[in-house]
Amino acid sequence: MSWYRHRIERDLARWQTAGWVSEAGASAIRADLVSRRSPFGVAPIFAMLGAILFGCAVMSFVAAHWTGMSKLARLALLLAGLWGCYAAAFGLFRRQLNAFAHAAVLGGIAVFGASIMLIAQMYHMEGNPPDAVLTWALGALLATVLVRSPAALAATFVLAVVWSSYERTLAGAAHWEFLPLWGATMVAAAWLGWRPGLHLAAISLVIWLVPLGFFLLDHHAHWIVAAIGAFAALGAAVAAPAIDRRIAGSAALFAYAVIVAFAGLYLLAFVDEGLFYRAPDAPWTPQLALLAILTLALLLAAMLWALMSGNRGALWLAYGGFALEVLSLYVKTFGTLLDTSLFFLLAALVVSALAWAAYRLHRRAPPVEVNA
Amino acid sequence: MIDARILLSLAIVALAQTTVLGWMVIDRVRLLATGREITLPVVPVDPRDLFRGEYARLAYDVGSVPLWLLEGPRPRANAPFYVVLKKMPDGSWQAVKMTSELPQEPASPDRIALKARSSYAWPQDGPRETTVRVRYGIESYFVPEGQGRKLEALARERKLATLIAVDGKGNAAIKGILVDGVLQYEEPLF
Repeated sequence: MSWYRHRIERDLARWQTAGWVSEAGASAIRADLVSRRSPFGVAPIFAMLGAILFGCAVMSFVAAHWTGMSKLARLALLLAGLWGCYAAAFGLFRRQLNAFAHAAVLGGIAVFGASIMLIAQMYHMEGNPPDAVLTWALGALLATVLVRSPAALAATFVLAVVWSSYERTLAGAAHWEFLPLWGATMVAAAWLGWRPGLHLAAISLVIWLVPLGFFLLDHHAHWIVAAIGAFAALGAAVAAPAIDRRIAGSAALFAYAVIVAFAGLYLLAFVDEGLFYRAPDAPWTPQLALLAILTLALLLAAMLWALMSGNRGALWLAYGGFALEVLSLYVKTFGTLLDTSLFFLLAALVVSALAWAAYRLHRRAPPVEVNA
Repeated sequence: MIDARILLSLAIVALAQTTVLGWMVIDRVRLLATGREITLPVVPVDPRDLFRGEYARLAYDVGSVPLWLLEGPRPRANAPFYVVLKKMPDGSWQAVKMTSELPQEPASPDRIALKARSSYAWPQDGPRETTVRVRYGIESYFVPEGQGRKLEALARERKLATLIAVDGKGNAAIKGILVDGVLQYEEPLF
């Protein structure tokens, strides 16, 4: 958040010079910024990384040196590590060092996962490896709910995605079992009221959703993914006031939905049949042209809505998508310069017309009244 | 008050996770202690490359099963199914049947059902000799650091076999490794 503080500091100085903000007002704003400082500053984040690294170090040291120990002694050691982490968390909570206590909880979750792996190794268990990751994720979810730990919540989302991707890779089929776990974790995130948790929920769903087309119907069903994203984006735009009244998240929802819609169309146009594939005589198939038009229309609509609703994140994503799409089209149709130039000429005319329309729209909007 | 709530929460988390780990161990020990024992010869796929790092990849004759032994519907990829092994007159085991559900085998010392998985898509059709690669969960053997090369040398020169424990639900676990029919590596339960 420090970039925000830098910016407001600059603006405050300007506003004070202009006489809009009094000295007392500026001090009050600064005090408010300090009091609302995110609980996830630099020190706690390093504490959490430290907890994870410390856990890894202990586990690999133990795993490398315990050949002389009996299995019972190894188990005792693992459980001592587990209970030690949670005991440390309790001590830190009591001293009000909450961020460090959550780091210790994260350490406990890391030891739990490492113990699952080490016990499996001790007894030469193989079974179905994704099941081990699921068990780990459920242990993390339990810690999330009971200890109300944002760090454990983040771990649960990561583990849920790893579990689902692993299972999907082994089975070569869509993995619907991800959704109940994702839903439960999402409810936990909403219940904790931790905003970054909702972003993690969205990101993990996007990661699950984007490759889904490879596993549906004829294994090239990316249009389903694109349609889901497009409908979600439309819903986020239309129902923005209703959504924002509840969680103030329609802007982020719109941005994530645009990612999904664009990814589906992009996979369909370029990835699924190979980025550099082209028929020697006809690289510009009607399908590719249609997909390109659809994709650019989607991105332009997203840009327009992002401009109108002041959604900077979605705007930059749409710019990035636009650049990627145009570059990929160029690479794919390389060699038929005449067709390519015709396409870019048409696209340039459409975009210019839109720019002119946006300019007119902007001109017609009444300036905001300022009480001097 | 807050202290008590957090103490209780942390204790429940630690206890639940301990229970899971304890259950993993107890389930395994029960299988090793009470399961039926069979001996399966290890097939040296590539003897020079059998041991990688600290664990051995073990392959078995019964690890590839002819597709025509499947009775009933094809299992989904990576879903568990069952392979029935039959003891041959020479003492070796051979796959005789595959089913999606746990087969109700009459108690016989010559037949045993193993739970298996296959991570490859099941072939829809094919010649009679098409085989399915199956895993029984007994394909990895973790060895103490430094022991890998010793076992590797043994595998190159002698006959290796694994002693397997199998419970009533078809779960299998490695109990030990036999070299030339003599138990060399035995797994202590604890």
